[in-house]
Amino acid sequence: MNHIPDTVNLSRMHPVGEPDKPILRLEAIRKKFGEHVVLDDVNISLKSGEVVAIIGPSGSGKSTLLRCVNMLGPATSGRVVIGDLVIDEAVPPTAQQLTQLRRSVGMVFQSFNLFPHMSVLRNVSLPQERVLGRSRKDANKRSLELLARVGLEDKADQYPARCSGGQQQRIAIARALALEPQIMLFDEPTSALDPELGLEVLAVMQELARSGMTMLVVTHEMNFAETVSDRVIIMADGKIIEEGASREVIRNPTSDRAKRFLKAVKDR
Amino acid sequence: MIHGVALGIPWTLAVTAAAFLIGAALGLPLCAMRMSKLPPLRFIGLAYIILFRSIPPLLLVFFFFFGLGSGFLPISAFQGAVLGLGLITAANMAEIYRGALSAIHFGQWDASEALALPSYSTYIDIIAPQLIRVSLPSAASYAVGLLKESAIASTIGVTDISFNANYIAKSTYQGLTVFGIAALFYIMISLPIAALARFADQKLRARVAL
Ligand SMILES: Nc1ncnc2c1ncn2[C@@H]1O[C@H](COP(=O)(O)OP(=O)(O)O)[C@@H](O)[C@H]1O
Ligand SMILES: [Mg+2]
Repeated sequence: MNHIPDTVNLSRMHPVGEPDKPILRLEAIRKKFGEHVVLDDVNISLKSGEVVAIIGPSGSGKSTLLRCVNMLGPATSGRVVIGDLVIDEAVPPTAQQLTQLRRSVGMVFQSFNLFPHMSVLRNVSLPQERVLGRSRKDANKRSLELLARVGLEDKADQYPARCSGGQQQRIAIARALALEPQIMLFDEPTSALDPELGLEVLAVMQELARSGMTMLVVTHEMNFAETVSDRVIIMADGKIIEEGASREVIRNPTSDRAKRFLKAVKDR
Repeated sequence: MIHGVALGIPWTLAVTAAAFLIGAALGLPLCAMRMSKLPPLRFIGLAYIILFRSIPPLLLVFFFFFGLGSGFLPISAFQGAVLGLGLITAANMAEIYRGALSAIHFGQWDASEALALPSYSTYIDIIAPQLIRVSLPSAASYAVGLLKESAIASTIGVTDISFNANYIAKSTYQGLTVFGIAALFYIMISLPIAALARFADQKLRARVAL
């Protein structure tokens, strides 16, 4: 992939922490929309540097789960634990907790959600200035490094609308990385893209995974799930129905529900 | 004769611009109240909007100038007209902003939240610029309407285009010509407003493409 500069340092760029202690724990997450139970006792634990793919049929609660992690849509009950930050989903967090949580957790959306009225550079710099208190100059310097990392430094002065979908998503990744998160959430980052453009996004994600970033990725890309992620979780009807080493889960699912889902995906 | 009517142009422009600025500014907090999660705020916002959109502008201007102005707090004809038209504009601009707000993709709020942007920054850096951009066409056509509405100021003695036209028509008995000239002035002012809005709209759209 020529978009990824070969000067990129693949050694661990992200803080690793203690090897076996989980960096992120989701405990007993439950969520109801009215009477409708969307998440039913979901527990997930991520070790530092681990890449976990969540797959499952549409409507199974994958997006809802990711939105619980950074409290974009708090769960009805359950806990999110990141290091010494403990968030009780049922209790409104303090402003300080919320900021700490969202600084630790970066998120990439299916619809990119770049700010359309700002240049690409401004998109990446603004959060650094407002959240980290960086000067414009320092923020821009960091933004250009990150844009280079996703292969797009030449787009810095463009507006997002002038960029392809794949480029926009890579910019969104750079923007999220600019706050130096410990964990990155991806919600179907390639679903809105043509396969070819999806590939350039997946390449950036793969590089990110190799650099040691902890990632929780909702995806329909079985190839990514199997080859890049360390573990795969299959969700259906708000529950985890199967999880384990990526290859194992995808090649030899045990439950009927998981088999049916994987067959449907393969036959597509 | 042309000169006499033209002397009113600055006053017409001043009433329109002042009322529009008051309305455009006041409309923002009003829109926020109207959409607030707190029922009392929402009620006040809604009540204001319904009230000020139902009163004929003429009546409100009379109310401020003759009602308030005659005793409680003495205000000039200009102030009375601007106040009356400005408060009505606020109600209408609040509704224009509200419509524009629903045109902003919810992902913009998601991204702002996920990036831990403080709420002042979300509003000022992210939402407001897009809101203004989306509101621009409706706001401009409202401004053209307001320009015509500003003729109400002449009824309380602001010496605008209509006031001067009326005065000259009565003294020269050449109503047809005089009012024709006045109409021409109104057209000459509204055309650039519309053109300017179109220009700004295109310029922003080319860069932004929401
Ligand atoms: N805001 C909401 N209000 C009510 N129901 C919702 C809302 N968001 C999602 N749901 C429901 O929650 C379930 C899970 O949705 P979602 O998390 O988007 O699934 P997935 O991402 O796995 O496709 C679906 O049945 C969906 O209809
Ligand atoms: Mg989803």
